[in-house]
Amino acid sequence: MPTEGQKKLLEELKNSFTRALPEGRITSGDYARTGCHLEVRMSDAGMRRIAREMKERRFHLETITAVDFPDSFELVYLYSTYYQDFCRVIARILISKEASPVSVSSIYPGACWLEREIYDFFGIRFTEHPDLRRILNPDNADYFPLLKTFGKTKLTEEIDDILC
Amino acid sequence: MLNIKTIDDTSINERVYQLNLGPQHPSTHGVLHLLLKLDGEVVISADPIVGYSHRGHEKMAENRIWEQFLPNTSRIDYLSGLIYNQGYCMAVEKMCGIEVPERAEYIRVITSELNRISSHLLGIMAFVMDIGAFTPFLYGWDDREHVLDILERVTGSRLTYCYNRFGGVRNDIDQEFCDGTRRFIDRLRGRFKDYHNLITENIIFIKRTRGVGIIPEETALEFGVTGPSLRGSGVAYDVRKNEPYSVYPGFKFEIPVRKEGDVMARYQVRMAEMEQSMKIIEQALDGLPQGPIRARVPRFIDPPAGDCYFAFESARGAVGYYIVSDGTRIPYRIKVRTPSFSNLFVLTRILPGNFIADTIATLGSIDVVVPEIDR
Repeated sequence: MPTEGQKKLLEELKNSFTRALPEGRITSGDYARTGCHLEVRMSDAGMRRIAREMKERRFHLETITAVDFPDSFELVYLYSTYYQDFCRVIARILISKEASPVSVSSIYPGACWLEREIYDFFGIRFTEHPDLRRILNPDNADYFPLLKTFGKTKLTEEIDDILC
Repeated sequence: MLNIKTIDDTSINERVYQLNLGPQHPSTHGVLHLLLKLDGEVVISADPIVGYSHRGHEKMAENRIWEQFLPNTSRIDYLSGLIYNQGYCMAVEKMCGIEVPERAEYIRVITSELNRISSHLLGIMAFVMDIGAFTPFLYGWDDREHVLDILERVTGSRLTYCYNRFGGVRNDIDQEFCDGTRRFIDRLRGRFKDYHNLITENIIFIKRTRGVGIIPEETALEFGVTGPSLRGSGVAYDVRKNEPYSVYPGFKFEIPVRKEGDVMARYQVRMAEMEQSMKIIEQALDGLPQGPIRARVPRFIDPPAGDCYFAFESARGAVGYYIVSDGTRIPYRIKVRTPSFSNLFVLTRILPGNFIADTIATLGSIDVVVPEIDR
């Protein structure tokens, strides 16, 4: 059950997100099942606005990750707070396979490596990124391993069929 | 053709030179490569190069059923494998809505806290050895050996555990386990006096660690630092308290915090944390309920379509599993948020302007586990 402080914080967050992101969709998350108190669907322009809003409220950027769906990528930003009245915000954006989303590393320097990792594994090129290199895979690799098309052979598809 | 790049860095001249610390360096705890630019003994810039032990755990997850990913979890961070094990099971249980018997939750907490103690012992002792104290290392490894023996009896392995199952744990603990754990805690309490004599009050250690490698609170927030490295900077953030999971809310324990943010503070936080872990274990052993150790779970599980984020506290900081399921027996995506990844990146900010000898002390005090960064 959310405490009084949490309820107040969530209400404040909702209001300021609605102001910062009129085109976005803000919904309360089901914390017991998804682990997130607030869910934000944002547009390309909203990514930095949300990041700035979170930084002002002294949230830290837990992680950024991408999911490869059949016809688009979903970028997922997880923000949470270090302090009293714990709250986690999940911000999502659906981008096309060729899109270059904007980097948030000017707001959260820690995002630099997280975005490098996404570039390394999905080939998503962030614009205005200070140092977009490969990070875990070899520098001269010509593949993006976490794409669903990577490593799929006839054999692995047969194995998948058996497992499912 | 090998596409090897040569250096064309114009910032290197007679005064500035480049030093490769690692990838095979005894004090980088695995294959971590730090590319340092130095002016004399002072670091100008540091660039950690990671990925030497990348095994592709996240890709492996997409090619096997949910149960088959269990052994992978303890290999991500091989020093707190049981905690990662527990976290993965709890994340999937959360998605499927599986209720875990209380006895199993208690056993999970006891084994995880023992694992945390062993990880901290190794972290601290390897760190003090890096900055020149060899004796405490041997004492610390002696104690760690006892934890490993206790855990081996019940889990069957010493390092890369696969003990937790969806809905509970694999083996029940017996009276001998409980007695052995209590004996170990008594023993470790006695040893703490030695450790404080050997390390905490050692003048060389104090001189090497006070005021060195300071992480300010603001920097920690910008980089998403968690764990003892954050608590050494004055922020009382611990997932076990801030976002309680399992049966942790039922135990009395404190979150050790130091204000200074230096190497010494991080060391002190780890030492104090071991004492808190011992308190938790004792309370859990006292209140250990009877009953089943595993819920009835289908042989194959297929979590409902959707996503879920589950955070828990490993020995190094906040870990998170971001899980996406499409309703089949194979995970669609599992992302592991590892604390060392964020904790290591902060070095690029705090190392410049410090001596190269302090680099080793700072790196040791953050206690990174390289396979956890590389995944």
